[in-house]
Amino acid sequence: MKEMKMMLVDDEERFLSTTKKLLARKGHDVLTATSGPEALEMLREHNIHVVILDVKMPGMDGIAALKQIKRQYPMVEVIMLTGHATAESAVEGLKSGATDYLMKPTDIEELLGKAEEAFEKRKRLEEKIRVAQMRTLSGSPRDIIRETEEP
Amino acid sequence: MGGNHYGVMKRIILSCMIGLPLVLLLSVLSISYYFFTHSIESATTASIVRIVEDHRDMIDTFLRERKADLAFILRSYTFKALSNPRELDAVFERLQEKSNTFVDLGVFNEAGLHVAYHGPYKLVGRVYREATWFKEVMKNGYYISDVFLGYRRLPHFVIAVGRQEGGKTWVIRATIDTYMFNHIVEGVHIGKTGEAYLLNAKGVFQTQRRSGGNLMAGDPEALELPESQSSTRTFMQKDSRGEKFLYATTWLREKNWLLVVRQEKSDAFKALYTATYLVLMVSVLGGAVIILAAFFLTGRIVSRIKRADTEKKDLGEQLIRASRLAELGEMAAGFAHEINNPLQIIRSEQALIEAILSDLKEAGGLKESKDLAELEDSLGQIRLQIDRCAKITQSILKFGRQSEPLLEDIDLRDYIPQVTAMISKKASVHGIKLVHDISEDSPLVNADPGQLQQVLMNLLNNAFDAIVSRHGSEGGELTVGVAPRDSEKVEIWVKDNGSGISPENLKKIFSPFFTTKPIGKGTGLGLSVCYGIIDSMGGTIEVASEKGVGATFTITLPAAG
Repeated sequence: MKEMKMMLVDDEERFLSTTKKLLARKGHDVLTATSGPEALEMLREHNIHVVILDVKMPGMDGIAALKQIKRQYPMVEVIMLTGHATAESAVEGLKSGATDYLMKPTDIEELLGKAEEAFEKRKRLEEKIRVAQMRTLSGSPRDIIRETEEP
Repeated sequence: MGGNHYGVMKRIILSCMIGLPLVLLLSVLSISYYFFTHSIESATTASIVRIVEDHRDMIDTFLRERKADLAFILRSYTFKALSNPRELDAVFERLQEKSNTFVDLGVFNEAGLHVAYHGPYKLVGRVYREATWFKEVMKNGYYISDVFLGYRRLPHFVIAVGRQEGGKTWVIRATIDTYMFNHIVEGVHIGKTGEAYLLNAKGVFQTQRRSGGNLMAGDPEALELPESQSSTRTFMQKDSRGEKFLYATTWLREKNWLLVVRQEKSDAFKALYTATYLVLMVSVLGGAVIILAAFFLTGRIVSRIKRADTEKKDLGEQLIRASRLAELGEMAAGFAHEINNPLQIIRSEQALIEAILSDLKEAGGLKESKDLAELEDSLGQIRLQIDRCAKITQSILKFGRQSEPLLEDIDLRDYIPQVTAMISKKASVHGIKLVHDISEDSPLVNADPGQLQQVLMNLLNNAFDAIVSRHGSEGGELTVGVAPRDSEKVEIWVKDNGSGISPENLKKIFSPFFTTKPIGKGTGLGLSVCYGIIDSMGGTIEVASEKGVGATFTITLPAAG
């Protein structure tokens, strides 16, 4: 949980390889996938925190892939990468569970910034879960009674 | 094609509008004129026939009465008694009491000797045995003469009646005052020119004719006399002056005289001529009214059709333009989307090169040099140009992929000042006077407030640019107005006194990528986006401008409710 693990999903392989190199130079480990199914496969094999997902891909498109990812790995933060300038596709992605969106052509700094934000969110969420689990384990029956009496 | 087409239409409408009512008018007038003429003619003829017959009866009665007067004297007195002049005087006086038309009275024996006489002449002793009247009395018992001069050299006529007494016939004869008789015969008054007179069997005047024609002169009209005792006859004949007369003639019963009643045709048919005059006047006036009305109405109809055609054409052009814009938008959006992918790669590559370069520099693998500086500058330029491309593709996508408007009811009286407040500072910086002309009775409109704001800001910014380019920072004026157009639409206009738009640019102003701004300053999509937005809200946007005077953009939106 100390190091952010990202995965880039896009059908443009050159984009993937260049961005991977760039991010590697900045000290980030990045996995890549060229399609939705491949991304799901990678998710099964690796513990990935943030996925940057292109909306428009041949075969399974970004929205479908997003739904699959959120269903199977609800803890994974997904950032949509869209070629559309309008909010429409972004809104659709956000409604389906994406954390944020980016517009093509996007800056590497922007991409990284949003990814880190998402990672922070993920970390906070995991922290909350941990605290909640602790409370459940250490909570007294009186606390439970008090909680139910409250209107 | 246009002009000729309307010309043909105009001719058809005109001929229908003139032809039909004119045919109707003329047929109604001529039918009624025909029947009216007919009825007037028969009524006039019937009336003149009635007059002539009544008059004849009156004259007949007069003659019969005079005859009866004499017959009564014959029965009442003996020849001997009447031969006594004194007795005759008394009888004549009684006779005159009854009818003052008697001028004299004479008594004749069977030999035709005038034995006694009362009157202004000295006729006693004259013998009339060979005179026609005497012979006729001897034969028929009575006689009414034509008018003649006789011994007296004065026109007169006589009535003689004979009686058998003791195997001998004796006769009394009275002269009738032609003046009085004339008066009776003439006493017919119809219209102005109606007159009555008598002709004998030879066509000689037996009474005077009022319009000229002396007693005992031949009738200058030389009427063709009808057969004796035939019935009443009417006919038309011209007199010597060419004047047409309506005649009615009938034979008297008591004497072989023809009673003629005549009236000038123009007088007899005066009502008819008035009617003719009126009919003509109505025809001419009615015709003129029909023709004028036809020309007026045809002009209006044709111009109305012309206007409708022009409107139709304009509407068609608008539709074509709108659909062309929509197609273009779709295409541009697809195109922009595809460009974004390679742009993304270029950007990544550029970032990688930059990263490698800075790593190399840090590691000391590269020395500062002019070439390196140029390389870095070039990389920076690539980054800049990618940004520029990105801006363009984003504008195109905005234009092509209009999101559905979220319509709500907006009160423009509050909304417009809110929008203009955003640019009021910019306006004051450029010395532009910002004027509101917002009608208080503007109804609510149904529109997307965010999108409408985008449109207005676009128009206002364009107006600023136009004003600044003409006036610099002084003398600009920008008006934003709102007013109801009709019960269903509201107009918003943005009017500037900027540099204006030339007519050829005016046509292309809503086309995508059309711009007059310098390269890199405008994408040429602003107004086409505005067009798309207003169109999607069910409104229209129009522009009017004169180069060097200013421009007015007018948005028409549907009123709420």
